[in-house]
Amino acid sequence: MNKHFYSHIAHTESVVVKLHDLQMSEHERLHLISLMDSSLHHVILDAILSELTAADKQIFLKELATDDHEAIWKFLRSKITGIEDKIQYAAEELKKELHEDIEGTK
Amino acid sequence: MVRFKNIPTQKKSPYHSLKNKWVKRHSLIKEQLLTTHRDSLDWLVSNLPAKHHLAAGSLSGLLLLAPQISSPLPVVSTPAKEQVLEVPKKVFLITELSSILPQEVGPLDPGVEKKIAGVLSDELGFGVSAEMQNKRLNTSYGYIGAEQHLTRYPGDTMSTHFQTNNEQLRFEKSGMAPGRGAWGYFAYSQAEMTQRDIDREKYYIAVQTFMSDGYSQRVREYVEFFKFRKMLVVNPQNGKAMIVVIGDAGPAVWTGKHLGGSPEVMGYLERFDGRQRGPVLYFFIDDPEDKIPLGPIEL
Repeated sequence: MNKHFYSHIAHTESVVVKLHDLQMSEHERLHLISLMDSSLHHVILDAILSELTAADKQIFLKELATDDHEAIWKFLRSKITGIEDKIQYAAEELKKELHEDIEGTK
Repeated sequence: MVRFKNIPTQKKSPYHSLKNKWVKRHSLIKEQLLTTHRDSLDWLVSNLPAKHHLAAGSLSGLLLLAPQISSPLPVVSTPAKEQVLEVPKKVFLITELSSILPQEVGPLDPGVEKKIAGVLSDELGFGVSAEMQNKRLNTSYGYIGAEQHLTRYPGDTMSTHFQTNNEQLRFEKSGMAPGRGAWGYFAYSQAEMTQRDIDREKYYIAVQTFMSDGYSQRVREYVEFFKFRKMLVVNPQNGKAMIVVIGDAGPAVWTGKHLGGSPEVMGYLERFDGRQRGPVLYFFIDDPEDKIPLGPIEL
């Protein structure tokens, strides 16, 4: 499984654990986890791109293509103050909604 | 942030309840990203070269795709706005697949395999699975190599093989395989050949049926199962997909390839042989009434 550059600050284990408490097959659980992972990925990209200028967006996307996490972070930290907090906030907001959905099924 | 609270939910199973909400949210989040950063994504699609050999993961699959995805866009009488939207939709699928797929090509972890089957099933609206009737191939993620045309009926040659000049120009050079495919001829004669027979040969893959668990113990049963079995083949790096049949057995394990594709399949998927070889995903499809047509399918 590939690890994203943000994986160390955007944890999804709490949602996965909650999904394990619900009655469903493994296949169904994996489907939901994949939806969550993909949503998280896009939410974080949106959060980052929203902070960058058009020119910096292009640089960021290029950096992203190299999958060089160190270079990505170096660039992001030079351009966005508190980028880690912003990514964490975006991830937490999504997770909050997912948790509420899970609670709603009970 | 896309908020999606207070969605009314009927008392369904937890999975169905969550799936409905999460699929909608997922679409909205992608749409928001697309709408807000369309210029950057368009730039990305049109500016990054395909020759980059990037690690699978994050947006790398998307970048690899960039120059290739412009071609499948509808050109005639399609409003420009729709064309712009078309690119990222496929791009998102590719990012999704590249974030799931491992870097090593070969048998997938069962969890990963199920995730991919789920993604593809959602996109296509019908069941896609690595296992059917308790049978599975040796892998669902493998390197594909080029096969030749197969003889469809006794006497079929390169001069009788193509329906149009364009097909002949594009695919004649691949030549005809010596001998017949694993299942014999597709039709008894030219006169008896149907469009289904033509399509089966045109859109065939060869898979390593003989490497399936249980094959050597129940050869007849396995051959009956695999013969012209419909499958979905996807190039995960450009999102191009085809419905095909298993039309032959092979290639040999020593080739380092996991499956083969007819000239038409290879051409559409933009996969090449030799040093330029690349991986594809291939899964069984749930089509008990044989309603899903063979050939290219949009993801």
